[in-house]
Amino acid sequence: MCKSPPSKNGLKVAIIGAGPSGLAATGYLACMGYQVEVYDKLPRAGGLMTFGIPGHRIPASNIEESVKQLENDYGVVFKLCTKICGSEPMHQEAGDNYVFDYKSLGGRVEDNDAVLICTGTWKSRKLNISGGSLPGVYSGLEFLFPVRAAQYNIAKMEVPEIRGKNIAVIGAGFTAVDVVHSAVAEGAKNVYLIYRRTRNEAPCGTLEMDLMEKSGAKCLELVSPVRITGPDRVRMIELARCRLADPDESGRCRPLVCDGELLNLEVDLVVAAIGEIATPPFAHDLGLEDVRKGQIRWLHMTGMDSVFVAGDALTGPSSIGKAVYSGLKAAKSLDQWLTLKRQNRLQEYTGEIIRKEDLR
Amino acid sequence: MKTLYLDYSKCIGCGTCEAVCKFLYKIPKIVMTRTSYGLTVPLYCQHCEDPKCMKVCRQKAIFKDKQGIVRLREELCSGCKTKNCLVACPYVAIMCTGRESPVSKCDMCVTRGALGPACVEMCPCDALMVEDRKDLDKRETPAAREAYERVRKYIICPDCPAPGS
Repeated sequence: MCKSPPSKNGLKVAIIGAGPSGLAATGYLACMGYQVEVYDKLPRAGGLMTFGIPGHRIPASNIEESVKQLENDYGVVFKLCTKICGSEPMHQEAGDNYVFDYKSLGGRVEDNDAVLICTGTWKSRKLNISGGSLPGVYSGLEFLFPVRAAQYNIAKMEVPEIRGKNIAVIGAGFTAVDVVHSAVAEGAKNVYLIYRRTRNEAPCGTLEMDLMEKSGAKCLELVSPVRITGPDRVRMIELARCRLADPDESGRCRPLVCDGELLNLEVDLVVAAIGEIATPPFAHDLGLEDVRKGQIRWLHMTGMDSVFVAGDALTGPSSIGKAVYSGLKAAKSLDQWLTLKRQNRLQEYTGEIIRKEDLR
Repeated sequence: MKTLYLDYSKCIGCGTCEAVCKFLYKIPKIVMTRTSYGLTVPLYCQHCEDPKCMKVCRQKAIFKDKQGIVRLREELCSGCKTKNCLVACPYVAIMCTGRESPVSKCDMCVTRGALGPACVEMCPCDALMVEDRKDLDKRETPAAREAYERVRKYIICPDCPAPGS
């Protein structure tokens, strides 16, 4: 938004989460002259761009350079390995092992003129079948995260043993694709992709399916996991055949599990890449449900005064682009709000109508 | 003669370019599309040497400026029903907006002056760049060419299978 740092406007903003939406907002606010502090639980900025998406897709150096520029030229302070807590009990999520400092949200609100929460989606949907919690069953993030973190030489966590193993990956989204490719790259013996619909319905598209098969993975279509078995850890996954029925609300054909013979697959690891859930840290304190529904006083502001929210934490899992857009919009809204507040003119605008299209 | 160039082999379809464009101009001028075989890519104006959109516009609302940027003079655009510019563009880079300004097209962020195109600044993969037209051949890698052909094939024939699959 600007080529050189502007003069400071004397206001302070804390941003929680250094992923795409957090960084986009940081850039915008830094260019508006704010003193910005960015908190992240991980040892590096970038969020899932750094720790989820494989490096061959987004070069880590790009993010690092931009972060350096923000730090050196724009005076942005990055406080990494720091998790922000609210009044509610914390939930555990991927990446918590890196945290060595906890700070409270209340403290951030007191110390800053505004706070923007961009914490994204870090909780994975769990497999709801018997054996789904056996050792050796991972979520897409649990699997990708240590593999990526290990490359940064900051592995404090157990990296799943991949070489020579048989791996079943459930799902056909881009997370599944990335899991398959990293499993193949790390030397897995057999990689099976398990999808309950056909490649024509796959969220990742037929081209990615073809590319996965080319890389050596086996794509099993129209099968759904029924049970995961093993004495003390995963040994076997049982699959039922599916057929496609009428389309559901998403417009894709619903998979129906057929009776009949089950398919048994011997595997050592199961990775369930079946989606993530937004994990807003203080959903209750902030009344996030109301923000989603649009019952708000100010665009992107939460139930707490001067606390804003953006990105996947608000919208649920989306894409980098949507997160960036949301982050930028929230930053702009935050700036407008603070500017009015400073002039003591907020009450003139409290009745502002928020249009439906503004929420998108 | 500068132009916008996208290396489709580096693009991961994240949509950051569209997001920042939409943030700045309300109506994005670089637009994400999903091909029939599931590739998500942005379509964008390539500021052609001999722009077809410019040729077909009866109002002469599309022109090429001194720097070689193909631009739209909104005040001249009559919002004709035929939308010849839209049909003529081989890269699907002119968008029908359904609002006061009937069509929109990329102007390489001329209003941002020295800041340059915002999408180029924001692309996390360095896939978007501003290039001199005569250096494009040097810039284009075989992988970029292949990825481009794939997108091109989709534009020409949306139902055809992806080449090389």
